[in-house]
Amino acid sequence: MQAADNAVLVEDLVRTYPGGLRAVDGVNLKVETGEIYGFLGPNGAGKSTTVRILTTLLRPTSGRAVVAGFDVVTQAAQVRRTIGVALQEAALDPLMTGRELLRLQGALHGLRRSQARERGEELLRRVELVDAADRRLGTYSGGMRRRLDLAMALVHRPRVLFLDEPTTGLDPASRAALWREVRLLNDDGTTVFLTTQYLEEAEQLADRVGIIDRGQIVAEGTPDELKARVGEPSLHVELIDPARNADAIAAMSAHGHCSERREGGLVVRTPEGARAIAPVIRTLDEAGIEVDAIEVEEPTLDDVFLAVTGHTAAEAEAQAEAAPAP
Amino acid sequence: MSTATSVDRNPATQARVIGALAGRALRVQFRRAQFLLPSFILPLVLLAVIASGTSSARSLPGFPSTGAYVGFVVGGTLMQGALLAGITAGIALAVDIEGGFFDRLLSAPIQRVSIVLGRVAAAGALGVVQATVFLTVAFIFGARYEGGVPGIAFAILLTALTAGGMAGLAASIALRTGSLSLLQNLFPIVFVLLFTAPAFFPRDLIDGTMQTIAEYNPLTYIVEAIRAALHDDAALGDPLHGLLAALGLLAGATALAVWAMRARLRNT
Repeated sequence: MQAADNAVLVEDLVRTYPGGLRAVDGVNLKVETGEIYGFLGPNGAGKSTTVRILTTLLRPTSGRAVVAGFDVVTQAAQVRRTIGVALQEAALDPLMTGRELLRLQGALHGLRRSQARERGEELLRRVELVDAADRRLGTYSGGMRRRLDLAMALVHRPRVLFLDEPTTGLDPASRAALWREVRLLNDDGTTVFLTTQYLEEAEQLADRVGIIDRGQIVAEGTPDELKARVGEPSLHVELIDPARNADAIAAMSAHGHCSERREGGLVVRTPEGARAIAPVIRTLDEAGIEVDAIEVEEPTLDDVFLAVTGHTAAEAEAQAEAAPAP
Repeated sequence: MSTATSVDRNPATQARVIGALAGRALRVQFRRAQFLLPSFILPLVLLAVIASGTSSARSLPGFPSTGAYVGFVVGGTLMQGALLAGITAGIALAVDIEGGFFDRLLSAPIQRVSIVLGRVAAAGALGVVQATVFLTVAFIFGARYEGGVPGIAFAILLTALTAGGMAGLAASIALRTGSLSLLQNLFPIVFVLLFTAPAFFPRDLIDGTMQTIAEYNPLTYIVEAIRAALHDDAALGDPLHGLLAALGLLAGATALAVWAMRARLRNT
């Protein structure tokens, strides 16, 4: 596929920091136009470094990256005209108001004063910040700041939108509102490159997901494909009498791999997911074992990591923290 | 469809970008006490202290006649304000770098030099406001400006150019180091620069070594030109030398800042 057919094309991308840390170590990926691509990994895996390269804030040590048909090194100005960027830890001046920042962003993107004003008002309505528009950002909640950050990234109607961990630290309601907005943007034709630590977020939003670990893509596919690689969803079963766990394991083995959890209770890995709940309860009932609680557990980022890397996301984060800072 | 236009090489658009960045810098300047205090309060306090505490210097032989003593020292106050305006511009840039706002600017389709020029322009505009305030306060306390409106306008111009120049120097340090604490520790340098120039005393009354140092300090020529313009007295300084020194400082410092910006971008 040619570069122009992809919103993002990355080939053998490497970024080495002074001190020798290879934060990005030979990444290859393609994001098709109109897609939401979830870039998933724990802290220190190389997500933000990759995004900084793709948004022209950092030069690659080697390799090639093309965004919207423009090379991020040799055509950086064209890339910047085409993309919208909402970086991790939204960098917003706390002394400015939301309205002022949107107008400034419009001016930076070449809009005339009247255009910047109109577009700013339109975006304030879109992210529901009209009432807070004249308040200084220092008074905004985390969710409001992220919404404004998103609005600023949209001022020039970008073709490709980079969102670097847009919902980290947000409450569930703010997170859901942001997801809704991202879906609407994508429906309008915007390609979205989304980095996240949350498997659930990638599942909710992404058409395809790439998992990065220690600077390398270790798995890529649709959320369903990735979950299939992790294995089945599992049932978490709590018995009224935990002393009968061994009996329950023996009884439930027909439904899938069954084991005891360190945190307590039993886990049954089954391709049937929620559909297995009724048969499992019936089996236990027939064996005279009383069930206290049963629920479906979806694979977590740790499950995915464990499946594709052999270690958990938490272990990867710990190793990244121990490595020299870039 | 993108509404972005081809902004990189369009001078009108770039002027708009620089204006927007300067506007933002000025707004923040007036909203942050940390910036407002040194830019306005500190020079006025020093003006009050020097004008009241050392006014007997007027009776020294060779001290030029400028009416009220405050009319003589206000030139030094303009310089002090300009230097502090420049330093606070560098501090504000370092705050942007440390806080991440600088990255937001870098990800916009602007010529990155505009970020430096916006800071320099904002410092220059702040210099205009400062000079107007300081000259008004000094007037209220007895200073008279025989140079009239042209003299006052020239003094304001030199203050603005100096503030812009100092902002360029401070911005180059901010871009090279990205260190807020280093910039904050530069405040004492303002006083070194001031007191190695005839900011508050005539050059003829400064002792040997200091006089030699003053000859190499561009502020010497700027502050003397301000006095000459304000009091319409060519014996107090040469306006042309002052203008050249201020323009040279502005051009040299801005070039250093642009160089620092390019070096920073090369190294990222």
